[in-house]
Amino acid sequence: MSADHADRKLRARFSRRLLLLGGLQAAAFGALAWRLRQLQILESSEYRLLADENRLSVQLRAPTRGAIYDRFGKRLATNRENLRVILIPSFARDLEATLDAVAKVVRIPDAQRERVLRIARRQSPSIPIVVAEGLNWRQFALLNVLAPELPGVQTDTSAIRVYAESQPMAHVLGYVGLADKTEIKEDPVLRLPGFRLGKAGVEKGFDRNLRGRPGNVQYEVDVHGRIVRELGGTPSQAGTPLVLSIDHALQAKAMERIAEHRRAAVVALDARTGEVLIMASTPTYDPNDITYRPTLEVWQELAKTPDNPLLNRTIAGQYPPGSTYKMIPALAGLAEGVIDPKERIVCPGGYSLGRAHFRCWKRGGHGAMDLHNALKQSCDVYFYETARRLGIERMAQTALKFGFGATYDCGLAGQLPGVVPTAAWKRRALGQPWYGGETVIAGIGQGYVLATPLQLAVMTARIATGRAIVPRFTIAAQDESPVEPQPLDVDPEHLQLVRNGMVAVVNEGGGTATGSALGLPGVLMAGKTGTSQVRSRSRRGPERRSNAWDAQPHALFVAYAPVDTPRYAVSCIVEHGGGGSRAAAPIVRDIMLQLLERDPVGRPAFVAAPPATLAASIERSGADR
Amino acid sequence: MRMLFAAPAKPPPPSLLAKLAGFNWTLLILVTTLAGIGVAALYSVSGGDLQPWASKHVVRFCFGLGLLFIIALSEIRWWMHAAFPFYLVALVLLATVPFVGVESGGAKRWLGFGDQSFQPSELMKLALILALARYYQWLPPQKVSHPLWLLPPLIMVALPVGLALQQPDLGTAALFGVVGAGMLLLAGVSLVYFIAAIAGVIAALPVLWERLHDYQRERILTLFDPERDPLGSGYHIIQSKIAVGSGGLTGKGFMQGTQAQLDFLPEKHTDFIFTLVAEEMGFIGAVTLLTLYLCTLILITYMALRCRSVFARLVAAGVGLSLFAYVFINVAMVIGLIPVVGLPLPLLSYGGTAMLTTLVALGFVLNAHIHCTLRVRPEENGLFWPRRRRTPRGLRPPRTAGRAREPVLRDGFPRGL
Repeated sequence: MSADHADRKLRARFSRRLLLLGGLQAAAFGALAWRLRQLQILESSEYRLLADENRLSVQLRAPTRGAIYDRFGKRLATNRENLRVILIPSFARDLEATLDAVAKVVRIPDAQRERVLRIARRQSPSIPIVVAEGLNWRQFALLNVLAPELPGVQTDTSAIRVYAESQPMAHVLGYVGLADKTEIKEDPVLRLPGFRLGKAGVEKGFDRNLRGRPGNVQYEVDVHGRIVRELGGTPSQAGTPLVLSIDHALQAKAMERIAEHRRAAVVALDARTGEVLIMASTPTYDPNDITYRPTLEVWQELAKTPDNPLLNRTIAGQYPPGSTYKMIPALAGLAEGVIDPKERIVCPGGYSLGRAHFRCWKRGGHGAMDLHNALKQSCDVYFYETARRLGIERMAQTALKFGFGATYDCGLAGQLPGVVPTAAWKRRALGQPWYGGETVIAGIGQGYVLATPLQLAVMTARIATGRAIVPRFTIAAQDESPVEPQPLDVDPEHLQLVRNGMVAVVNEGGGTATGSALGLPGVLMAGKTGTSQVRSRSRRGPERRSNAWDAQPHALFVAYAPVDTPRYAVSCIVEHGGGGSRAAAPIVRDIMLQLLERDPVGRPAFVAAPPATLAASIERSGADR
Repeated sequence: MRMLFAAPAKPPPPSLLAKLAGFNWTLLILVTTLAGIGVAALYSVSGGDLQPWASKHVVRFCFGLGLLFIIALSEIRWWMHAAFPFYLVALVLLATVPFVGVESGGAKRWLGFGDQSFQPSELMKLALILALARYYQWLPPQKVSHPLWLLPPLIMVALPVGLALQQPDLGTAALFGVVGAGMLLLAGVSLVYFIAAIAGVIAALPVLWERLHDYQRERILTLFDPERDPLGSGYHIIQSKIAVGSGGLTGKGFMQGTQAQLDFLPEKHTDFIFTLVAEEMGFIGAVTLLTLYLCTLILITYMALRCRSVFARLVAAGVGLSLFAYVFINVAMVIGLIPVVGLPLPLLSYGGTAMLTTLVALGFVLNAHIHCTLRVRPEENGLFWPRRRRTPRGLRPPRTAGRAREPVLRDGFPRGL
């Protein structure tokens, strides 16, 4: 009986404990439900966001780069469809095998293959790499068929920049290229594989407008990044087309005209508005070679080419302006009252200051010179004396007023400011004191004075119009009221005196450039020659005196026409061209004749239609409101 | 002569029909419903395809169901007598795994037979329950809390726990521990031991921590801070929580779970299948699923309470405990309440051994239920085999015969409540 009793007791204990355990189990399930409530009801929105973050992938859609036209609508830079195959290393199982498979369809040179593998090692594996571009339709279609079997391989289309008439326009247009490390942070669109941005010229200067706005596409992706479906997105906005003020036909003729010299540059401006009509620099290059797959060989060839074709001499070539600078001391002298137009300064063929002796270009001397004759015959002694009386500071102020020593905010990258020397500048730049003799030679545009051909053209336009002309590469829109440049703070009488001197240079007997008169009835050109000595420190000794090409002085000429109603201002430099009247003035005369004959400023300019997507999106946003 | 007296002494074995009458069909419906949810979930995992998982799941369930019936309707005494040999076989198999096992995922847990493989630890889960129940069936009630008689069951639990830790398989070891401790508790072992054991474990925790494998330690640490290693061991928990949380109240819809369908969720057809249900069916679906499990557990508890014999009630309660431990550990793991330990969700997760073990275990519950009026006669209560009858022929006490004729299911409910 006691065993039976113990049995009963044990069973009762079992039942009690089992029910206790059952209660605990129910409580544990309650805890699970409580936790589920916390996750699925209280914090659900957070987790939904995280889930979306997992599955949604937003990819940028590259915008089409705006086209570039010349002022009459000639296409200078456009886009061509480019079929590419790209690889996202993080999705590829075996990089080498994948490349092998792609190589069966498209030839992948060993160098390119190594490049892809190198980039894949270096950067984040989720960034796509361009394996090959410029595919034909057959290859493109084949790869589209193969792509699902090759994880990580995608095909896409992009646009490549094509430059028509590339050679003459190269320096103005510049070129596009892949973003470098410093640029890539500025805009996420630059991370798109193969996306190019302006690297030089107006492509760089107007890059913001030309680039457009990227659109995006939203994809649903799986954990391996494979796109499951497209969920929509926003279209990209093409860049605004750019109409340049350049007249391509004249530019081509100017290039042709200066091509007979090794290094030369010409700038022509609309003297009233500052619109750049011609900007030619020789030698030149083909931007198409650089934009699209710039191979090492292309760069090496460009680097090896003498005379640096990549250099735009009109804005980045800094030359001593020589006698073309003489209007500056003349105007400064008149303004400061240190010279009188009637005063004659005798030129004995040289000038002494202390122990230093400075020669006039004419050995025998010019005799007694007033301002008019000094400009006409380009007498150095007259301007030595003027500069001495002025001092360097006052001369520098006038130079700055006429556009020297500055770059212009006109959308062209790569401008250099030249040098307008002062005592302070020299101390800062060279750490040396200023000497009186340096003031004297600055009076004839030698010594430390440096200017670019663009600055010389601006100076000429400012003298011709008396207004603060600033160069620009875009045409004032039709509806935009023409903004008259501000008048310069210069006495018009003084300007007229200098203009008369410049007219005499070309059109009066004894002028330095009478051989380059226009010869048109009723239309006169005013100008100024310049022959700037080149200090070639590297070439000393006997060779220095020889007729070596680079021992020759630079030939310069600046001009404007017509004299009574100035319309065009032109500057020209021929490096080591000898005398300004011999080498540079005839070029300017020919270009001026072309300008006057064609008269690009007088004809209506081209108006580019805004890109369709932009107009549509503006309309849509208007409708939304 | 002997036959003459012995025949009425042994109760006639109940007919198959009588057994079927005692069969609990509610449990069967619950189990089938759960397996059906599993099939639907596996169909969703494979993106709306019966291949490769859902159809195999159905086949395995049907096969398991057959085993369930066979075991449920078989004679409970067979299993009582087979319990210890069965335990020994399971122990030997478990012990051989480190030598001949197939390694997968850094642990040797599988035994291979041709192209099939199974986990001896699954076999051991059943064997342990049966063996412990058998032991307490044999042990006279007075000795249950005696320290000397506590030693054998402790060894019986400690051996498989130790072997599972060797593999290493923390989840299974914990399961053995939980089921073993629960069964000792239910067998009536004095609470003093349990209090002492809990105190001991708390004291031993620092030592245990030192002995854990790096990956196990990492799992526990990432539980408390999954961001420690978002791409490594924290990844499972983070992605699973995102999936569960993003399901919201009503879920994303059948086959619409982005986390699962786009592969962000790892192991979604096995250990993380609850996450898939919670993502696609939401809070409502997840709680419904848990309720189904809870109903099953309540039913098993009810059945265990009705059993007369120690063996039957301990087997039923042990299986219930084991099922609870599986469900709780698995669900708590995928919703980030406890560390990631690789345990499947019974009846839902894809996996042959687990499915068969679960159904076989439920077969034992039903078997216990059918034989709930069983009284084990002392002569049947040998430790390894039926005790030889020592009483002389013809001198059987009539009491035994009288008891065996007690009506079935009359006195089902315990009086100790």
